Amino acid sequence: MTTTLAETLIWEKAVEELDLQDLVKAASSVIAPLGPIRQFAARSPWSGLEQETFEQIARQFKDLCDIELFPNESVLQSARNRGEIDGKFLDEGLQNWLGQHSFELPRTAVEPFCRAALMENPPPNDLITLPDVKRLANKLSGLKSHLKARPSVKPVCQRFEQIGGEWALKDLNRHMIKWCKLFLDESQAVWPMPNRENGFYQAWRQLASLDPALKLEARTQIKNLPNEADMALKAALSQLEISHSETREYLEAHLLALPGWAGMMLWRTEQQTKNRSLLMDYLAVRISMELVLLKPFLPLPKQRREEQELLEPFIAAWLHWGNLPINGWYQLPAAEQKARLNLAWQFDKMVRNRLWLEAWEKTYEKQLREKIVLVQQLAAEPKMPSIAQFVFCIDVRSEPFRRKLEQIGGFETFGAAGFFGLPIETCKLDHHHSHPSLPVMSKPQFKVMEYLPDFQYKSFHERLQTVHSLKGTFKTMKHNLLASLLLPEVSGPWLSMQTLARTFLPRGAGRTFRKLIDTWMMKPDVELSLDRTEHPETELPIGFSEDEKIQYAKQALKTIGLTDHFAPFVVICGHGSRSVNNPYAASIDCGACGGASSAFNARVLAELCNLPHVRLALKAEGILIPEDTVFAAAEHITTLDELHWVYLPKLSDQAEEALTRIQAVLPKVSEEANTERISKLPNLKTKIKHPKMEAQRLSEDWSEIRPEWGLAGNAAFIIGERSLTEACDLEGRVFLHNYNWIKDKNGALLAGIIAGPATVSQWINLQYYASSVAPHFYGSGNKATQTVTAGIGVMQGNGSDLLTGLPWQSVMQSDHTLYHAPIRLLVVIQAPTEYVERLLNQDPAFKQKVQNGWLRLASIDPEGNWKSWP
Amino acid sequence: MSHYLEFISLPAAFLTVLAVSMASAILFLFKKVPLSFVRYHIGIISLPPIVALCGVLSSNRSVMAGPWRFDPLSWLLALFVLTIGLIVQRYSVRYLFGDRFYRKYFTLLTLTTFADTLTWLSNDLRLLLACWGVTLLGLTWLIRLNKEWAAARKAAAFTGQQFLISWLILLAAVIWIAQAAGEWQLSLVLEKNNLAQLASWERTGMNLLLIVSMMIPAAQFPFQRWLLDSVVAPTPVSAVMHAGIVNAGGLMFTRFAPLISGEAVQMILVILSGFSILLGTGMMLVHVDYKRQLVGSTIAQMGFMLIQCALGAYIAAIIHALLHGLFKASLFLQAGSAIQYRETAAFKDRRFPYLWVIIGGMLGLAAGIGYWLASGGEGYPIISTLILAWSVLFAWSGLVAFGSGRIGRLAGLAILGGAAFMFKFIHIAIDSLLHETVLSGNQPPAPGLIWVLVILLGGSAIGFCLAPKRPSKVFTVLYLWLVYLGEPHKDAVESHPTYLSKSLSYRRSLR
Repeated sequence: MTTTLAETLIWEKAVEELDLQDLVKAASSVIAPLGPIRQFAARSPWSGLEQETFEQIARQFKDLCDIELFPNESVLQSARNRGEIDGKFLDEGLQNWLGQHSFELPRTAVEPFCRAALMENPPPNDLITLPDVKRLANKLSGLKSHLKARPSVKPVCQRFEQIGGEWALKDLNRHMIKWCKLFLDESQAVWPMPNRENGFYQAWRQLASLDPALKLEARTQIKNLPNEADMALKAALSQLEISHSETREYLEAHLLALPGWAGMMLWRTEQQTKNRSLLMDYLAVRISMELVLLKPFLPLPKQRREEQELLEPFIAAWLHWGNLPINGWYQLPAAEQKARLNLAWQFDKMVRNRLWLEAWEKTYEKQLREKIVLVQQLAAEPKMPSIAQFVFCIDVRSEPFRRKLEQIGGFETFGAAGFFGLPIETCKLDHHHSHPSLPVMSKPQFKVMEYLPDFQYKSFHERLQTVHSLKGTFKTMKHNLLASLLLPEVSGPWLSMQTLARTFLPRGAGRTFRKLIDTWMMKPDVELSLDRTEHPETELPIGFSEDEKIQYAKQALKTIGLTDHFAPFVVICGHGSRSVNNPYAASIDCGACGGASSAFNARVLAELCNLPHVRLALKAEGILIPEDTVFAAAEHITTLDELHWVYLPKLSDQAEEALTRIQAVLPKVSEEANTERISKLPNLKTKIKHPKMEAQRLSEDWSEIRPEWGLAGNAAFIIGERSLTEACDLEGRVFLHNYNWIKDKNGALLAGIIAGPATVSQWINLQYYASSVAPHFYGSGNKATQTVTAGIGVMQGNGSDLLTGLPWQSVMQSDHTLYHAPIRLLVVIQAPTEYVERLLNQDPAFKQKVQNGWLRLASIDPEGNWKSWP
Repeated sequence: MSHYLEFISLPAAFLTVLAVSMASAILFLFKKVPLSFVRYHIGIISLPPIVALCGVLSSNRSVMAGPWRFDPLSWLLALFVLTIGLIVQRYSVRYLFGDRFYRKYFTLLTLTTFADTLTWLSNDLRLLLACWGVTLLGLTWLIRLNKEWAAARKAAAFTGQQFLISWLILLAAVIWIAQAAGEWQLSLVLEKNNLAQLASWERTGMNLLLIVSMMIPAAQFPFQRWLLDSVVAPTPVSAVMHAGIVNAGGLMFTRFAPLISGEAVQMILVILSGFSILLGTGMMLVHVDYKRQLVGSTIAQMGFMLIQCALGAYIAAIIHALLHGLFKASLFLQAGSAIQYRETAAFKDRRFPYLWVIIGGMLGLAAGIGYWLASGGEGYPIISTLILAWSVLFAWSGLVAFGSGRIGRLAGLAILGGAAFMFKFIHIAIDSLLHETVLSGNQPPAPGLIWVLVILLGGSAIGFCLAPKRPSKVFTVLYLWLVYLGEPHKDAVESHPTYLSKSLSYRRSLR
């Protein structure tokens, strides 16, 4: 009997534990994992929430965190003033909305009200406080029972805040920030947090029980907390009287209080096996801490469960937009009063802003369509065979450069995601860390390293170590009690000289320092470990097997759409950026490579395509690469609009000729691309005489807050032939991926493009969107007041959430003017309608994105007809 | 004759360019002046440091021009403050571009640095007070500029309150001194027969007031909080603080040297600043925010500078204040580069190079002894000798002993040599410039010296002994206290910069 009872107990316990684990996992969908900033990876903050519509999520976030996910009125207004929103589409949107909702009111009353609400300024605030309005609101209070939304579950400390205890939430956040940054530190603080190898919860419990920032009482309570995180979480939840059904929402609300730190915990959970339960630990710490802080005040006075909407705003709205005077209300029948209140309640700010946003997006779609279709009619001229082909990343910054390059004549360009389909982790010569160089949603499968023959390696290694030991000695001296007192006097003069040079000759000094380092390092031409070598120390196999080389080369060429008509010289172009003193340097690198330059991947692909046995096998598959064709790799430096060669093998005569031609025209291409791009960056000078020098300055100036615009402005993703867009100026706002539906009978290529590159683009787009509409929550705030923390990210000022997304200056032209247009990505597929239908049927995740408004979809069929998908 | 003209005209030229620069800064406030004017403004404000440089190079005696005193020290301080001011403003041209308060930043940065410069030029105590007051006000204002951000507002309010206290104490001290000496001119007040009239308790009282008023801007324990909270300010503002504001103590004490030198009450300064060195270094060891580490280090460095003053080593204090100011301003301005991979040299997998380290030890010892003999023996040089010898050993180990291969060792040696040369050069240059203006050669009180040695050696020992036994309770408690003391005030933290979302909606009204 006893054994069975014990068994039952164990069993029950197991179920409960499982439950809590699952709840934590489920709750974590409201936040996105946040990796260290040096490999800044674009992520949609809402990728786990796409099963609901954008508007539903917007309402939840408004309710829970008080943030707006739609652009606010002034952003919309200025877009309208710039002619980016066509009133016609706004009207269409309104009609649609009215069609979907019915009110027991004549259309003649509804429509003018809604139109006025859309077009005119909101009612002045003092209307709501008018005594007449208040009196009427009291009178009508019986009608408000149906104007209720389900109240969300709020953390106890947030409820406590509403009854005057603001300190609790602030204190809780402050403590969490402190513990998280000390625990997650990667900057090698000389004295790291004690006990942190025991896990977050354990370390916290041991430290917090001695923390002088807490009262003795609180410290004792912490000391007596359960040993295990899950037990502590369970105990805290039960003492806070959170029912089982509310638990998930409760955890979500807590995760959203500091989404950055929680996101970093989630990222670690996903990355490192030893940290599997980190998010559970985080929640256990946070909620236990909440309990400890609030214990003297529990239980809280009963919350008014039904938070009722006030009627005054609706009355004011009718007064302002509907020309319904106060007295008018008294003459209306009760049903109509109710209907009118209902209308004002339903046609709220969220709906209005959504309609505006949709009109903005449709206007952009129309403009894009006109551009492409118009050009379609013009472009019909036969083409000369090209002397060189360039493959660029889909990145929006490739488009202007490709355009300029093509205008020279004789060159053909392609677009594909900059990891070129290679799921690799890259390791630079003599570096200790390797970088997963592929989209963040996938895991690397191979490792490719740079290496050198031993005799070359030794001297390079010594030179590199010298640089490291100089930096290392500076750092250790800084942290040594005695040596730190002398360090300013020894290094101060040198640092000052550097400061003076960087300040007054930003371009020259930066270039000189860079050259000095390069000259010192003399990095020899490295080789890549492409051949499979089994390496017991690493988890990933190094290099590819012969078969894999063929497979990846074939898949990459097919995805690029380059399977015939090879030019004698094919250049695979990765891209990277150049900036100094910029914690966000990785955010302007290649997003498809997880926030690093894609030059490495470009080189790997080019080398694979040059291998004789790969070519032989490709020939058998019907991809015939002429003997004279040579693949090379280059890096497109987006900050400078320059192409730097990273891999130039022995060239055939024809390829040599092509190279000579390219070298001759590149300066002109750079110059023109610079001119177009630099004019978009805010500048003190109205006219820039030497765009090239300005670009160089931007990339070297240590005080530059916007070295380039990055992907700001991104708006569409076109999957189709380059001929479709070749003649249009897409303003650097469009991701371009080559696709020829004729070569994709079964739709596999399209499915691949949608699952990989299109998702990367959507995440980039939503990240920029989020950073623009909620700069304080999803953006990382003002760059000028940021501080780097723990070597993994940035905080604002004295301390804050670990900031996600892009800084204020990366989406804003100035404090007054937005640069990035927050509209959702428009995916355009050039393919017959059946292809798109098949895609939607086979990829439910993509269908969900389209249906729920996480991106928009359009297609162009072979006849050139444009179709917008719902 | 030509010399005479030069001395008359340089101060006049200096004051003129200051006035013109200030006018340019004020002009820039007007909306009608285009933003691109800022480039001319930078051109104009680069004149004062150039004139100050001429002053440093040409003058070797004191010249009075009205209430201003132009001697090598004041020229040097003017050059220092104005150069950092210029660097910071040039930096802000791009760094703050697009900021809503763009224009105000330049006006306030100019005002703050100019008032600061004039403070060290003032010979009239009333003027000194006024200029110093404006400097403190300007800095507070700079922190407060983004006042929609609650955290910045709170930090500024606290800083302002601390500065006000500091200034009022200085006011009291100055009035007392002027009353006692019957004179407002600093140079006259400090004359021997004037000082001789003061009763010993009066001197003690004045000293005490000066010490407290100067410990506040230097963020010494227990007044460290304002500097810790000021991390909320934009990077250029944190940098400009190091232009004669946090390091004002060293400059002020050097100015008042005859009054304070050799007073027993300086022991208070030695004790508290000694503690601040430990505290600041400790904060730097445990905290993980880059800017917080930097301000922690500032607290420690300023403690050291004040100790140098208290021990009568005024020239050493000035050198430390200047070089540290430039050093820390540079580090702040490049705070964006703090994100790096951990690519430090892998020492662990290498054999410990005993021979090389022993050579380093001998070299350090030799350098120490050489320095000690050259500086003439007792007093403050004992401390310098200790620090120097230890640093040589330390740097030698990092750069040469652990250097990899011949290339590494040679390069390390070259770097060490370059650093030593520059160190010696700067010391000789400043020493020869200031040795007539600045009081020196005083014997510091022995207990002070001993206390500093205890602090430095004891602190090193504590760090050395505790660090290996990390999880011990003593270490944990110490760790937590350092974290606690280094944290900002709770109101100066905000989990999300909500003011930004508001500022999106203000846009239209601001157009």
